[in-house]
Amino acid sequence: MSRSRFLLCLALVSAVVTVALIAPVSSQTTPAPKSGGVLNMMLREDLSQGFSIHETSTISTVWPAMPCLNNLVLFDPLKKTESVDTVIGELAEKWSWQDNYRNLVFFLRKNVKWHDGQPFTSKDVKFTFDMLREAPDAPAKLRINPRKDWYANIEAVETPDAFTAVFRLKKPQPSLLLMLASGYTPVYAAHVPPANYRTTCVGTGPFKVKEWRKGEFVEYVKNPDYFVKGRPYLDGLKYFVIVERGTRQAALQAGKLDVSFPGETTKTAAEQLKKAVPQLVITPYSQNVSDNIIMNVKKPPFDNLKVRLAVSHAIDRRALIAAVHQGGAVVGAALPPKPWGFWGVAEKDLAGLPGYGAKPADEKALARKLMAEAGFAVEKPLKVEIVTRAIPVYVDMASFVINELKQIGIDTTLKQIETAQWHAMATRGDYQIGANLTGIGPDDPDANYYENYACGSPRNYSQYCNEEIMKMFDAQSQELDPKKRLALNVAIQRKLEADAARPILDWKIDYFTVWPHVKNMIPHQSIYNFGRMQEVWTDK
Amino acid sequence: MKTYVVQRLVIALLTLLGMSVVIFTLLRLAPGDIVDILFSTAGYVSPSEKQAIMKELGIDRPYWVQYLDWLHQIVTGDLGKSYRYDQPAWEIIRPLVPVTLELAALSILFAVVIGVPTGVVSAVRQDTALDYLLRVFSLAGLAMPSFWLGMVIILGLVTWFAWIPPLTYVPVGENFKLHAVQFLLPALAVGYRSSALIMRITRSSLLEVMREDYIRTAWAKGQRGRIVIWRHALKNAMLPVVTVIGIEFAFLIGGLVVTETVFNLPGVARFLVQAILWRDYPVVQNLVMFIAIVVILSNLAVDMLYGVLDPRVRYGR
Amino acid sequence: MAVRPAEIAIPARPRARGGAGTAIWRFVRKKPLGAAGGALMLVMLLTAVFADVLQTHDPIATDAAYTLGAPSVEHWLGTDHLGRDIYSRIVHGARVSLVVGVASTLLGSVLGGIIGLLSGYVGGKTDLVTQRILDILQGLPLLVLALVMSAALGPALHNVVIAISIPIIPRAARVIRSSVLSIREMQYVEAARSLGISHLRIAFRHILPNTIGPFIVLCTAQLGSAILVEATLSYLGLGVPEPYPSWGRMLSVSAAEYAQKAPHLVLFPGVAISLAVFASNLLGDALRDTLDPRLRGT
Repeated sequence: MSRSRFLLCLALVSAVVTVALIAPVSSQTTPAPKSGGVLNMMLREDLSQGFSIHETSTISTVWPAMPCLNNLVLFDPLKKTESVDTVIGELAEKWSWQDNYRNLVFFLRKNVKWHDGQPFTSKDVKFTFDMLREAPDAPAKLRINPRKDWYANIEAVETPDAFTAVFRLKKPQPSLLLMLASGYTPVYAAHVPPANYRTTCVGTGPFKVKEWRKGEFVEYVKNPDYFVKGRPYLDGLKYFVIVERGTRQAALQAGKLDVSFPGETTKTAAEQLKKAVPQLVITPYSQNVSDNIIMNVKKPPFDNLKVRLAVSHAIDRRALIAAVHQGGAVVGAALPPKPWGFWGVAEKDLAGLPGYGAKPADEKALARKLMAEAGFAVEKPLKVEIVTRAIPVYVDMASFVINELKQIGIDTTLKQIETAQWHAMATRGDYQIGANLTGIGPDDPDANYYENYACGSPRNYSQYCNEEIMKMFDAQSQELDPKKRLALNVAIQRKLEADAARPILDWKIDYFTVWPHVKNMIPHQSIYNFGRMQEVWTDK
Repeated sequence: MKTYVVQRLVIALLTLLGMSVVIFTLLRLAPGDIVDILFSTAGYVSPSEKQAIMKELGIDRPYWVQYLDWLHQIVTGDLGKSYRYDQPAWEIIRPLVPVTLELAALSILFAVVIGVPTGVVSAVRQDTALDYLLRVFSLAGLAMPSFWLGMVIILGLVTWFAWIPPLTYVPVGENFKLHAVQFLLPALAVGYRSSALIMRITRSSLLEVMREDYIRTAWAKGQRGRIVIWRHALKNAMLPVVTVIGIEFAFLIGGLVVTETVFNLPGVARFLVQAILWRDYPVVQNLVMFIAIVVILSNLAVDMLYGVLDPRVRYGR
Repeated sequence: MAVRPAEIAIPARPRARGGAGTAIWRFVRKKPLGAAGGALMLVMLLTAVFADVLQTHDPIATDAAYTLGAPSVEHWLGTDHLGRDIYSRIVHGARVSLVVGVASTLLGSVLGGIIGLLSGYVGGKTDLVTQRILDILQGLPLLVLALVMSAALGPALHNVVIAISIPIIPRAARVIRSSVLSIREMQYVEAARSLGISHLRIAFRHILPNTIGPFIVLCTAQLGSAILVEATLSYLGLGVPEPYPSWGRMLSVSAAEYAQKAPHLVLFPGVAISLAVFASNLLGDALRDTLDPRLRGT
């Protein structure tokens, strides 16, 4: 077990305690749900790896595959916040922690049937999680297993009887429950080879796959035998693949589609839609994705703190939010700030950090001074190549950054990297400076720090490594007092920005748009966990 | 005639073989690790997983083995498995074919209906204001990018009518009206472009024919203009027009890429772009081969038509 | 054997005597549309050359205070979603379009021309083999070949030029070959050969100059489609990458997304592409009519 994973496990013990403190859900007054109707939704690309959620890490698969499957537990689809308090049972009727968070016991529902008629039992649970953690005696293997680390702390999955499953952990890990509640953690059927999920879907979920016409649409019909009585409300779901963004938006506006795609609607797009169709309902929520600058601290010129700080000072965060996101993002440090997230540094506490000076002109002047101290000047400008992914959201942000850097005498040329090569390049440290987006699964400090800032982590693209801050990471994760932990987290985030470890430019907001007849479709704090569609109904 | 056809067919087959080499090589030139690209949505692929996948997909074998394997697949009609869908490539390609063929055919129909009459009028009224107007109109069709035209149409529809065509393919049998609506707009957008080519070739070949002696004679004899044009000139001027129609049909099969994308029509061309981005070799290879076959067949058809249309052309020894 | 128009020999005619000025004047008078196209092309050329002078703003400078701005005195054609000046971007886009269009057309035509010249002059088996190889390249629609090529080579300016030029090669080779075939049989070539002048010399000194006419016609005809293919590739994200402001790229993604709030995002780059292609087609048509004796005087 790697050091970082060990720390992560330790940290999560206390994390869960505090997660529970997240503000409770706002109440919504809705008329009594009606049954019937079909919901039409969009996809920007066809499902990759079919319905095999365990073999992907993309919303393009999770969103359209979730209705077919069930988890043991899930974040309550009717609540906005995701915390240990909002976890509800799905295939597990009840669960209980035993032996001081060492054993997690699930009491499974009876009379649950797979879509092919086979009964669901604890065998399926054991099958799924043995496969995920790649147990030596696992009966099946996934082709790729991107979230193996999530289950690394599971020592064994035991099945005392057909409707009980016990997860025995190597170390206490209360946060395991949160990972099990994610849309990324469905239970597969033991009697179906996992490869089959790439083409068909045998699930227990509220909807059954009727047809998947490749590159065109996925169609679901209601599962009449669903184990929750009276659910789902809808008779069916249809996800249309529409590659052209303008056409997708036109289809939503024309009423051909009922719901926008999670994480895709910018503020301006939402305003435009609202202007065209005033009755549309728009819900802003955090995507849990940040724009940031990665600078390779192992290579000149960014091994020089002054140059890194100059870059950070030069980029006017508020102007970037106004220009690139038209106001559809918020400033923040390593974690998303309240009310979008829980752990982030509030805007008032950002004062004094690089890039947050009262006057952008002063910040630029300071940046030029730092550059001069580092030995660069107008007549001897720094010339660098900035890398970014060849995706519009990256390129737009990079275009803005290039213009800011130009004003402090850094001459930048843009190099676009194909998506497929991006992670490998960044992990190798094969760049000087990059314009990057970082998405974080759960809103949790440990998940973020150990992945993106810890010494030796492959996702720590800037290769920033500071023993002192590593100790702070561990300290906050072991802190049980939520107030103290929050204070520690603010200190850490300020330090990370002051070191220009990976300057965070903003946190993005998604403006989820639905037609008013769509009810009970409630975006969460993360785009990955609200696709089950079990509670959604239409008032048409 | 028979030997000529056989000869042409043999050449066509050899050309296709050559194309298969070109396609195969070009695709393998693409930078980046194919497994990384295919599974980029999974985030991280560990080296051991990568090895296993390469073996599973058969891309750990030498290129020439993969190439021969593909040829064997084409001959036996089993086109291999899509990397992305894990399903026979043919099953994925088959439903795309009729959509594109119909769209291309309909576009050509529009193009002929618009292009030939305007070409004739333009030739007959050569160098008049009407001629200039028609030529500018048709050249404009040639100049406007089809994706732009499509985009403008969709935006116009949604802005003014809060309506856009159906999002999925509607078979004729299911709903004829919707089906027609679905194909009409993209076919018009594309047909406008092709009509420009047909108009131009109609105009210039008609002008050329009209300068020939027998037409002049007909004029001199006092036959009425319209009859001369229709009976003599146009018939002879159609030869190059047929050529252009053939070339344009072949062009359309691949050239519909953006139109299909903007109108969200599930055809060959739209899928091709996606498959290229995914590096789904079995699908791309076979789709491009399909396009090549259509091109060659339509060239062949044009050549055959020459014999029917033009008595002067005889198929040589 | 069937003969396609493209394969019909286009013998060059002797150069018209008289000054260049008179020639141009005659062209303008006889081909007003072509002249208009030529004038537009000239404007585009000048725009591309003097883009830095003509721009009113830095084409990559973003302006947070003025995103998706409508056309105004400050921003003549409005601003895009990052507040970049559309007019300045279109002015610079002319550079990309023209560079890619001209470079790929020239590259393809010159390579194709040389192949056509040699294969037509040498004839025999070489010619046969060359023709079959060209068949292979020509069997694929231009856009499909360019798509596969640019995906294979990766998005970069020079790669786009190569990707677009390859499909032009067979077309150029065909045209030049057929005109060589007809010139080869002419008396002065026979005479030169009987005088013992080397083949290479004949090919380049006597035949090549006479293919200039068809070559020019070919180039102008291909230029329009090269510009169009570049725009299409850029639109699909396979073309010229940022920060070069390319017209096709200006139309991709954000343009359609914000088109209802800012229709100028879609309108102006589209008009720019259309005008450029329109102009080169007009000019190409007129040049063909002028230089192609079959159609002369029509």
